[in-house]
Amino acid sequence: MKKILLTNVLFFGAFVLLTGFSAAASPSVCIECHGGLSGQLGEIPTAEWHTSVHSRSRVSCHDCHGGDPTDYVEAMSADRGFIGVPVYAEVPAFCGRCHVGVEEDYRASLHGQVVEFGGPNCVTCHENHAVQVASIDLINEISCSRCHTYDKPALIKQEISDTEAMLSRLDNSIASLYRVGFDTGQLKDELFSTRNNFRRLFHSVDIDKIRAETAGFDADLEETKATINALEETLGQRKIVGGAFVLLLILGGCIALLIRRTYENKE
Amino acid sequence: MNPAKEAIDWLDRRLGVRELVHKNLGGYLLPRNINIWYTLGAVLLAMFGLQFLTGTLLLVFYVPDTEKAFASVTMIMNEIPYGWLIRYLHVVGSNLIIVFLLAHMLSVLFMGSYKRPRELTWVSGFVLFNLALVFCLTGYLLPWSQLSFWATTVATDAAGAIPIVGDQLVAFMRGGSTVNEATLGRFFALHVMGLPLVFFALIGVHLFCVRRVGISKPPFGDEYRTTEIPLSFHHEEHQDGVPFHPNYTIKDMAMVFFALALLVGITFFAPWLFIPPDALEPADPFFTPPNIKPEWYFLWAYQTLKIFPNELLGLASQGLAMGFLAILPFFDRGLERRPAHRPLFVTLYLLGILLFVGLSLWGHYS
Repeated sequence: MKKILLTNVLFFGAFVLLTGFSAAASPSVCIECHGGLSGQLGEIPTAEWHTSVHSRSRVSCHDCHGGDPTDYVEAMSADRGFIGVPVYAEVPAFCGRCHVGVEEDYRASLHGQVVEFGGPNCVTCHENHAVQVASIDLINEISCSRCHTYDKPALIKQEISDTEAMLSRLDNSIASLYRVGFDTGQLKDELFSTRNNFRRLFHSVDIDKIRAETAGFDADLEETKATINALEETLGQRKIVGGAFVLLLILGGCIALLIRRTYENKE
Repeated sequence: MNPAKEAIDWLDRRLGVRELVHKNLGGYLLPRNINIWYTLGAVLLAMFGLQFLTGTLLLVFYVPDTEKAFASVTMIMNEIPYGWLIRYLHVVGSNLIIVFLLAHMLSVLFMGSYKRPRELTWVSGFVLFNLALVFCLTGYLLPWSQLSFWATTVATDAAGAIPIVGDQLVAFMRGGSTVNEATLGRFFALHVMGLPLVFFALIGVHLFCVRRVGISKPPFGDEYRTTEIPLSFHHEEHQDGVPFHPNYTIKDMAMVFFALALLVGITFFAPWLFIPPDALEPADPFFTPPNIKPEWYFLWAYQTLKIFPNELLGLASQGLAMGFLAILPFFDRGLERRPAHRPLFVTLYLLGILLFVGLSLWGHYS
């Protein structure tokens, strides 16, 4: 019985080491405190942030609002760089600390020139805490018609739609290649750069400028597409070889079973 | 003059190899009604061999350093000729080994082959299964990806729930308070040296037990009879049986071919099946990925811990369940092996499988 107990204890020990899994680490102190509050300073922004592209990209509260996410007491201290909420007209500068190029084109645009007088700023179209991956769908009649007619935005959307669709397709292709183990770092960087510069362009809301410069972006995207096509071709060739190997192995197995049948007949 | 024959004759005169080969291959008789489940041993041996081969090749380029490990794996996948194939065969192979080990153990349980006098065969096999899990756990950390880092963090963290020695145990496994360079170093050493030595030695013990006691007769068919087990050592003979070679080795070979076809198929067409997205990101100790989950074969244990209100209770229940399975032949001492004559066992067997699958699915979707 002692031996049985000892064996049980040993296996218990071994299995404890093998199979223990528990919940993961704690979030920043910003989320811990504000997540427990109600309203616009609490559950709403934290819940919205969790759905955002910022959350997915690991851009946390302190990255925009400053402060110290590791210290409950000093989290909102100006000494630790806490900024808090910017006033309306300062929102472009607030977001522009990271989105430098877009801010530049926005400021030169009609939108940017009237922000001091209540014109649209970044969050008017992109929202604040629930900010999503920018897409062409942000240009729509309901959103634009809040301030002006939809004629000009519709023209801009038409001009950029092919390039945007190409950006989206290439993004998906890169994600697929990445998923099967290709090192797509350089491709991602290239596409990221082209997309950012292209989106800078249409933040100018200048239809002539957009028409003139879109072709250049299309050419850049064609180069990226050629690289992606080459990798996809490699992947396709691998699958053909893999498929042939699978068939050969199955054939080998079937032949072995047929040989086995001959022995069975003798048995 | 035939050089090969000369060489064999030379060896035969000194070591009696012809007799040895005949005794263990052509003259070694297996039960006439031996079934396909008995080929899983050969399939597993082939898979272990392939893991050893691919693992050795990966070792040529892998760098066990927290700063370089992920980059070295990326290089293997993208710059080394056929590196992606070698790595994927290793990753997919490790998962398939667990599938085949489970199937092997379940078939042995169902046919009652673990029973007296094969207790040692069962225990050595069960330890091999656990060692295979440790292999997977240690190998999981080596790419130093987000998944590697956090799965190892939570796995080693759980040992802290053991009273008194928990914290020391965690520190011992990690080589510090957190998963770090030292953890990678010891997991690497275990994975490529410590475990293979113990594992292959134990495979030797397991095969010795199988050969020494003799293959058990499948408990099916009208002619099957329950027989008394002698108290003294007894090798189970099958006088009217079929030769192991070539009659059964050809069936082994067929199954090995089919298993390799499955391995190659997944490797070429769906390698992502066993590689979650978090495994593609380099480790970041400052960012915990949401919903980090263990590998599929640990999901049942992961979910068990979540069910129990206390982590120690969860761990204790897992340990007891595994401990009970390990020493099952010492409890289950009846001679009857026919499933139809063991309704209680078969019911518990099916419930156990359902529980394993149910908890795993629950863990996956929770």
